[in-house]
Amino acid sequence: MSNRFQPDRREFLQTTLATAGGAVLAGTEAPAAEIGGGVGSSEPIPRRKFGKQPDEISILGLGGFHLGKAASRGEAIKIAQAAIDAGINFFDNAWEYNDHVSEEWMGAAIADRRDKVFLMTKVCTHGRDKKVALKQLDQSLQRLKTDHLELWQVHEVVYDNDPDLHFAAGGVIEALDQAKQQGKVRYVGFTGHKRPELHLQMLSHDYPFDAVQMPLNCFDATFRSFQQHVLPEVNRRGMAALGMKSLSGDAQPLWHGVLRVEEALRYAMSLPVVTTISGIDSRVVLEQNLKIARGFQPMAEAERAALEKRCAVYAADGHFELYKSSVKYDAAVGREQHGYPTMEQMPL
Amino acid sequence: MPAFAEPTTATADRNSGAPPGGRPADPPPGKIPLRSLGRANAKVSALGLGGHHIGDPKSVEEAIAIVHAALDGGITFFDNCWEYYNGKTENWLGRALEGRREQAFLMTKVCTHGRDAGLALRMLEESLIRLRTDHLDLWQVHGVGFDNDPELAYAQGGVLEALDKAKQQGKTRFVGFTGHKDPAVHLKMITLGYPFDTVQMPLNPFDFHFRSFEKIVLPEAQKRGIAVLGMKSMGGTAEAVKRGVITPEELLRYAMSLPVAVTISGCDTLAVLHKNLKIAQGFTPLTPAQMDDLRRRCAETAADGRFEPYKVSLKFDNPCARLPHGFPIDLQQKEVKQFLERGTGTWSPQ
Repeated sequence: MSNRFQPDRREFLQTTLATAGGAVLAGTEAPAAEIGGGVGSSEPIPRRKFGKQPDEISILGLGGFHLGKAASRGEAIKIAQAAIDAGINFFDNAWEYNDHVSEEWMGAAIADRRDKVFLMTKVCTHGRDKKVALKQLDQSLQRLKTDHLELWQVHEVVYDNDPDLHFAAGGVIEALDQAKQQGKVRYVGFTGHKRPELHLQMLSHDYPFDAVQMPLNCFDATFRSFQQHVLPEVNRRGMAALGMKSLSGDAQPLWHGVLRVEEALRYAMSLPVVTTISGIDSRVVLEQNLKIARGFQPMAEAERAALEKRCAVYAADGHFELYKSSVKYDAAVGREQHGYPTMEQMPL
Repeated sequence: MPAFAEPTTATADRNSGAPPGGRPADPPPGKIPLRSLGRANAKVSALGLGGHHIGDPKSVEEAIAIVHAALDGGITFFDNCWEYYNGKTENWLGRALEGRREQAFLMTKVCTHGRDAGLALRMLEESLIRLRTDHLDLWQVHGVGFDNDPELAYAQGGVLEALDKAKQQGKTRFVGFTGHKDPAVHLKMITLGYPFDTVQMPLNPFDFHFRSFEKIVLPEAQKRGIAVLGMKSMGGTAEAVKRGVITPEELLRYAMSLPVAVTISGCDTLAVLHKNLKIAQGFTPLTPAQMDDLRRRCAETAADGRFEPYKVSLKFDNPCARLPHGFPIDLQQKEVKQFLERGTGTWSPQ
C-alpha cells in the first residue's frame, strides 16, 4: 500500500508528457500546477486548473450545506465574503440544501462580487425528468442571484438504479446538455457519496462530464475506495476531480483522536483533485481551514503512507464513513423519490 | 484477603500543609499546597480537577472556563480518561490547555480492560491527539476491578508492557493504575511488583469502614513510595451529603488530609470549583481527632456500602470494562447510554 502513490505519480507524469503542449491534465500532482508555496499564513491559497479547462480553482472550496447551518444569515454572508477575500473561489451548493436556505444565503453573499466566484450548485431530480431539472435550475439561479453557473452537477448518485434513471430518455442528462446550450451553465458534472461502482457506471456512458465529485479521505483510501477506483479514471478522462468529506462528514475520527484536523485536510488536499470542498459553518472553522490551505504543500509520501496505515485499522467496517455504510447521509427527498422509507424509519 | 494494616495509618502527624510522608513546608496562605508525587520527581497540587465532569457542561466554552479557572486557582493536576464521554472530555480538556499545557500535570487513563499492549498504545496516540499534546505526565491503567484484571495486566503482551514502552518513547513521564472496586485487587496489582509511580483509589470516611482502600492499599503504596491519588471523596454520587450525614466540605477536607499526593475532584460548574478552591487554597489538614470524629459519624451507614455504590453495585461497573471481559451490559442503563454518546458539532479549533 505504501508505494501505491508512486506508480500513480509515474503514470501521471507520463500522461502529462503525452499531452504536453496541449491542455494540462486535471488534478495534477499538486506542486506543479500550484501558485504559491511554503507554509505561512500570509501565503495565498494555491489554485489548480479545472480539468481540461483554463479556469483556476482554489484548492479549498466552500461547502454550501454547512453555510446554511451558520448561526444566522448575516454570519453566513460574513463567512462567504471572508472566504472570497482569503482567496477561495470555489463555491459549492445544492438546490435542496437546508430547504433552499443555503442557496439564498450564498446568493446574498456573492451578489455584488459574482465575478470572483466559481459557482456550483446541484440539481436534485433523484431520478425525475429533465423538466424538473430545468425548473430547479431556474430556481437555483434566482436564489443565487445570478444568470449563470460555472458548474451544475447531478446531486447524489447513490442508488443502484440512479445511473439508469439519469441516462434514460428525457432524463436529467438531457437537461445538462440543454442548460449548457442555453448558456446557463458552463460545465456539468455529478456527485455521490455511496459506492465507487455507481460513479464508474456513470462514467461508462462516456458522457462528457467536466467534473466528478466524491468522498476522499484517509479512510476511503482502504474502504470502498473512491480514491483507488474512481479518482484515477476521472483524471484519465481529463475531468475535474472534486473531493468532499475530508473529515468523514461528521468529524467523528477527529473526536476519536485517530488523526488531527490538519492531517485529515492535508491528506485530502494532497490527492490529485482540483479542490477539496469543506463544510464551514463559522468564521472560526474558516480560519482553521484557511491556515491549512495557505501556502499548502502536499504531504510527503512517507507521511501519507503512515497516515493510511494508521487509519486502515479503523476503516474496515465503515463506521467513520457512514455516508457509505448507512443511510444517514441520503437526502430525504432522494429516498422519497425512489419510494424508500425515510431514514428515521430505517433501523440504521 | 490481605492482613489489615493498623487502622492508624492516616493518623500520622499532619501538622504541615501537606500530609505525612516527605512533605513540603506549609504553603503560603491562599495557595494550593504542592505535594511530592511519591518517589517520582514531580510535584502536584493537593487538589486535582476530575476529567469526567469536564464533559458535564452543555458547551465546550463552559468546560474551558472551568479548566482555566482551575489553573488560575492553583490546580496543576488534571485527570482524564480515554473512554470518558466517548472521547469528549479529552477533546475539551485539550482545547482548554492549548497554550497552557506547561502549567498542567496532565494525566489520562488507558482502557484496555484486559486487552493487549498494542491496543493500549493505539489508545495512547488517540489520547495525545485529543489532548493536543505530545506527551502525558501520567498514564494510568483505568478501572482495575475484576478479579482477573491483575493477571491480564501482567500477562505477556499485556497493558503493562505498553506502560514501559510509552515511558521509553517519552510519551509519558509516569505510570500508574486506578480502580474503585476492591482493595484486594489493588493490593495484588501492587504486590505483583510492577514499579508503578502512582495508584488511584476511592478515599473517604465511609471507605475507612468498608472494604477499605485507606486501610489495605494506602499503607502498602506508601511503603513502596508509590504516590496515592485519591478520588470519590464525595462517595461517587454524594448520596450521603444529600441525606445530611455529612457536608461536602467535611468530605473534601477528610480526603485531602490523608497521606495522598492529590485528591481528584470533579467540578461540573464554576460554583462547585470555587467552593473546592476555597478549601484547597491555604489548606491545613484536619487533626487526628477531627478525622476520627468524621469516621465515627460515618461508621453506622458505611457498613453495607450504601454510600459507596461503586464498590457494591454492578451498575457502577463501566460498560467499556464489562464488554471486553465478556460480561453482559444493560442497554437501558444511563452509563451505557453515555458510553455510546458520540462527539457532535462542527470540528473547530476553539
